[in-house]
Amino acid sequence: MRPPTDAADVVLACGEVRTGLLPSFQPLDSRAAAHLLQLRADERVRVSERPQLYALSPDTLTGVDCRLPAVDGAKVRVVGTVAARAVLTEGRVLQATAYFGAPASGPDRRQPWGHYLVRPGLLEPFGKLPEQAVAKGVLRGPQKGDLDLGLIAEGLLGQLRRHPLLDQNAPFKSAGTRLRWVARRAPDGEGPSITRFTLAEDQLRTVELRIPAAQEASAVAGLCEDLALHDWLLTTVVRMLDTSRLGAVGGAAAVLALRPAVDHLLHLWMPTARVDRTLSPLWEVLEREPGFSRQWQTSVQRIRDQLALQAIPLLREALASR
Amino acid sequence: MIVFAASDKGGTGRSVTSANLAYQRALAGDDVCYLDFDFGSPTAVAVFDVPAAPRGDGLHAYLEGHIGEPLRLDIWRLTEHAVLRDKPNGAGRLVLFPGDGSGGEFATDQDVIQRCTDLLLRLNSEFDLIIVDLSAGRSYAVDMALEVTARPEMRGVETRWLVFHRWTRQHVIAVSGLVFKEFGILEAGADRGHDKAVLRDAIRFVRAAVPDPESPLWSHVSPAQSAWMHACDETLRRLAAEQGIGDSRVLGTVPLEPVLQWREQLITDADVLSTQIANKETLEAFTELARRLTDDTYWGQL
Repeated sequence: MRPPTDAADVVLACGEVRTGLLPSFQPLDSRAAAHLLQLRADERVRVSERPQLYALSPDTLTGVDCRLPAVDGAKVRVVGTVAARAVLTEGRVLQATAYFGAPASGPDRRQPWGHYLVRPGLLEPFGKLPEQAVAKGVLRGPQKGDLDLGLIAEGLLGQLRRHPLLDQNAPFKSAGTRLRWVARRAPDGEGPSITRFTLAEDQLRTVELRIPAAQEASAVAGLCEDLALHDWLLTTVVRMLDTSRLGAVGGAAAVLALRPAVDHLLHLWMPTARVDRTLSPLWEVLEREPGFSRQWQTSVQRIRDQLALQAIPLLREALASR
Repeated sequence: MIVFAASDKGGTGRSVTSANLAYQRALAGDDVCYLDFDFGSPTAVAVFDVPAAPRGDGLHAYLEGHIGEPLRLDIWRLTEHAVLRDKPNGAGRLVLFPGDGSGGEFATDQDVIQRCTDLLLRLNSEFDLIIVDLSAGRSYAVDMALEVTARPEMRGVETRWLVFHRWTRQHVIAVSGLVFKEFGILEAGADRGHDKAVLRDAIRFVRAAVPDPESPLWSHVSPAQSAWMHACDETLRRLAAEQGIGDSRVLGTVPLEPVLQWREQLITDADVLSTQIANKETLEAFTELARRLTDDTYWGQL
């Protein structure tokens, strides 16, 4: 994995993505999306409209000098910058990611800040990086005093939520999700792979990846944003079906409960629409197990069937009145 | 919607009533969260029967910036209450954000306000109803609530206030002072940029632990005592009207409930129907109050 600007080899990249519904009644169009995500004056928001509306903010940097989360009592001090960015998909789903890459080892002494500023998104350890202990630590979550990627991502999300463009009147209520990811370097000559994908309680997901050396950390962040987006869509629609009490309540109530899915979510499903081509095979792994699209298709079909059923009495009524 | 629960003094049944409202709304299918902003004496963990008060990872620590996220407790999953543990089908989520045991009041600087705003905005996109239990009187918690809701980014979030008081002369006068008088909630709100009239219309009162002279509880009192109780009740009604908290500004009344005098707890169907330790009227009062929280005919301009 390559860091954006430095030739030093990144052996570990870690990040956390927070995903949720944009708190706005209407989805934002491309201009408004660009305005919302203009986090820096000196860099433009990347907006594309095909195959779906997608806006990506420039990276913002947070300077840190602290411990990385690590298991087995490892103490790893790092210095450098954590990158954070935000993504808005179809003007509807807002995500914020904080991520960093780290080389196998770093200088034994702290360098002047200029050294770190020309290596955005890179954290250099003092001495050798205990890769595995850090990877496990990041997935487990930070202890007191450790680098907290979730805090940086949530801070960015909080800043965006406060934007005057947003009316705080989302068309339905939904819980956000958190996805923590770690990517270690794949052995030379091997392609990318997913070692593990877990759903923990409290809307937390963790992903472990192996990524070839040539990949940039930001491309891995892009892949994980795509995963997080689809996991959130699935989680949200499944929950909507759960709480709509299909079969238990009258048809009209079920339609009312499911309508937001039709209006705002069903058209967002587009796996790997923007994932780097060398990483997109990873999605196919998740399609086999746990089978994202299969569950999605089933849920969508249930919603459509339910709406079709509700239309039958209307049709009968219309025919009778002829 | 955010509902702030305030009271003139402690011991008004504010916490236990608002916890019961949260429970009733969750039963009705809403996703509800309950924030314990009673920084002096957080009690919600006891009312919801969840084990072990948090140490340093609750709302207090979050607002002061010590932690990135306050502890959230899923009541249906964590409660030790035998009835609550079986989440009824169709019930919404019920989540408690506890305060910190060692808390205490603290000053509200801009960073605290910012964190509080961020938290409420986030919860507003996740929950149908957010109940915030505030410390008694014109506390820091009340000031913070007024300050946060006056911010421009909160303008799209519907906010209502419940002010709890007991049904005695002292309490009626004190609660009227808390809201309407000099240094009261309305004035404090106006100082922070609220429109006084709009704020006033978003406030309703709840009379708690009200002894109903007709209740079977008092069926054995002497005629003289009964007549005295009726007269007192009537005098209090007149006083309340004079103090600007007459019936039209009252969202509901919770009758005096022996169970709640002994123990602050949620009143469940089982308490009324099977063990029969609690009065049917209490449960009805809670369900009705819970319903009126979002019934617009009880709110707005008078």
